[in-house]
Amino acid sequence: MSSVGEHARDVDLGRILVIEDSEEDAEAIERALARTHPSLRLDFVDRGEGVVERLLAAPALPGLILLDLNMPGLGGHTLLRSLRAQPALTAIRVVVFTSSTAPAEVDACYEAGADSYIYKPVNFTLFRTVLKGAVDYWQQSGGQRPPASSGPPSPAA
Amino acid sequence: MPADADWARALHTLWLAAADMADVTGMASHVYALVRGLPGVTGVAGTRWTGDRPVYARSLDRGTEPLTLPAQPDPSPAGAARLRALLARTDRAPMLAERDLTGDDDGAFAPERDLLTGSGAKAALECRFLLGDDDWAALSVGLASPSAGDRMLPLQLRQVCEILVALHHRNLVGRSHERLQMEAAFLAEASLQMDESLDIEETLSRVARLAVPAVAEGCVVHLIRPEGRLLPVARAHVAATAQDWLAGIARHDAWLGRTLRAAAGGRQGVVLRGADLDGGPFGPRAGGPGAAVRALSVSPLRARGRALGTLTFLYQRDDDGISDLRFLDDLARRAALAIDTSTAYEQRRLHVAQLQHHLLPPALPAPPGLTLSAAYGVADASLDVGGDFYDAVVSGDRVALFIGDVCGRGAQAAAMTGLARHTLRTLLEDGARPAHALERLNTTLVREGVKRFVTSLVVVLTPDGDGRRMEAASAGHPRPLIRRAAGGVEEVPVSGMLMGVLPAARYTETTARLDPGDRLVLFTDGLSEARDDSGTMFAERLADAVHRCHAPPGDAARALVALAEEFRSAGDDDTAVLVAHIDTVKEGS
Repeated sequence: MSSVGEHARDVDLGRILVIEDSEEDAEAIERALARTHPSLRLDFVDRGEGVVERLLAAPALPGLILLDLNMPGLGGHTLLRSLRAQPALTAIRVVVFTSSTAPAEVDACYEAGADSYIYKPVNFTLFRTVLKGAVDYWQQSGGQRPPASSGPPSPAA
Repeated sequence: MPADADWARALHTLWLAAADMADVTGMASHVYALVRGLPGVTGVAGTRWTGDRPVYARSLDRGTEPLTLPAQPDPSPAGAARLRALLARTDRAPMLAERDLTGDDDGAFAPERDLLTGSGAKAALECRFLLGDDDWAALSVGLASPSAGDRMLPLQLRQVCEILVALHHRNLVGRSHERLQMEAAFLAEASLQMDESLDIEETLSRVARLAVPAVAEGCVVHLIRPEGRLLPVARAHVAATAQDWLAGIARHDAWLGRTLRAAAGGRQGVVLRGADLDGGPFGPRAGGPGAAVRALSVSPLRARGRALGTLTFLYQRDDDGISDLRFLDDLARRAALAIDTSTAYEQRRLHVAQLQHHLLPPALPAPPGLTLSAAYGVADASLDVGGDFYDAVVSGDRVALFIGDVCGRGAQAAAMTGLARHTLRTLLEDGARPAHALERLNTTLVREGVKRFVTSLVVVLTPDGDGRRMEAASAGHPRPLIRRAAGGVEEVPVSGMLMGVLPAARYTETTARLDPGDRLVLFTDGLSEARDDSGTMFAERLADAVHRCHAPPGDAARALVALAEEFRSAGDDDTAVLVAHIDTVKEGS
């Protein structure tokens, strides 16, 4: 078991951990990513319990976690908070997906430390496009979060 | 050497593999291994070009997995010449060229020449084919000598290339079909989101959220404010940490402001990329998160000929992933319509609320010994002025209360509501008795030839010992209730013909006594006819609700309307409630 505060761990950008309780949705994710990112390796778990402990014990971390927000038991919000409470796991990007676009729900996820919040559409083609967009983004940015603020904007109006 | 039957089987296998493959590059292993296995072939090299620029090169000497080499994107005169020869063919079919690899290298067959001589080839057979207007490729085999290949080799190489061309077109069609499917699904979802709320900013936030990352990596919506400024009202970025950056740019960046203003006045959107982005916060020359933005699209939000704002997308994906303007403008048009609808609704609602306000007394009087309270609940979904009215008139120690309802809604009902309220008010100020006031109003209504019925209840309270004497007359109005301080709720048995029908209607008065602490509750049928899910009317619970309503005297009416609203799932009507509480000596002091 790794201890809190341990230096940065190996992160495998080619691996994604999918936390999804619905078998159908997990299958849809697998099908979508097999098509758009055939070389990605996917691990699936169907509940939030024990995820943090297993990640802390793993030799390498997945580059990305796809997290379903609405799960029975340990919900997505709680899991997200406990993931973010572990300094050893900060390198993992967490993409939350739900079927809600309600502004309050979105804000709550960002506050809990989500790196991306994506809407889970019903249509499979759209779902694949959305997943591809999120995975491409984090792969291209090499898992780096963009700086929160940045270079000077052009002169203000 | 494969016999014809073997070759046919090999091609068949290639087709079957193609059915599983998402793109031509996925086919590379199959194709290279197949061609490498042909008699006399020492190696295979392939190149893919855009115009005169190589995109990538591949080669296979041994084994089964071809090696892909990074592109050298410099323009090549030899590449331009090869493309010209290909375009010169009228049938646009794959063309074959024999290459001698033994002489001096003049670069005409670069980079394949180097890739093939590495495997000991002295000659090569090239098959060159078009994939698009300036998108082309070549598949070449190395040979130990010009005559080392089988006589079938040219035909076989050409057949393989024809399969690659067909696959490429099939995949293009497939991708564009998928994109259309995605766009249709997106528009459907976006339209649903737009129906979720009449709050414009919330609606636009939902749409922005939905669009990221389906359409782009970032999205900002600006609306034109009445004073002409463009203000950002919604934004989303795929990266949580980039959202504040995006919000800042959207609000303060002068370059973006100019770009958006220019686009807002147009009828169609624009896509900006490359040098178009110079001087702004996006593109490789910009700092921070903007550096990764490769393109920007801005679509005007227009509805009914009016510019409402802009819908902007930030793209970090390559051009292939950017939707065409037709789709983006379609999305913008739908968003603009949703905004327009919400705005129109909001204005109308405001007008109705103002008009309604003028039909009701600005404040109730506060006669000594009585606490009056009134409440008016406007039907949620209605955009029309309702016909409920009430008022209280104090003259000396006499207090007259009335409540009423004009059938129907809208401007005509509103006009009659005003007429009824002011007529009753004037009559009661002059000291008219309840029945007399109703008779006079009825005469007026019939004389005016109105097409609507009016119900009303008039009550006059006069001091009677420590309480009040009550005289009431009703014109088809729901009976009032008395909540006794001593316990229990009574209905006052008063009834009469509704007004606006018979010219000579006569009304009778009913009297009752109100003791200190008693409450008289007047209401309109919006209260009693509120229905719950099972269809039960609030009327059945009304006496109980009045009994259990322990709100302070000044809040009694509001509390009752709130109870009915809580109960209500159907029966969407305006509701007016007027309550008179007889103060106890303690309350009055």
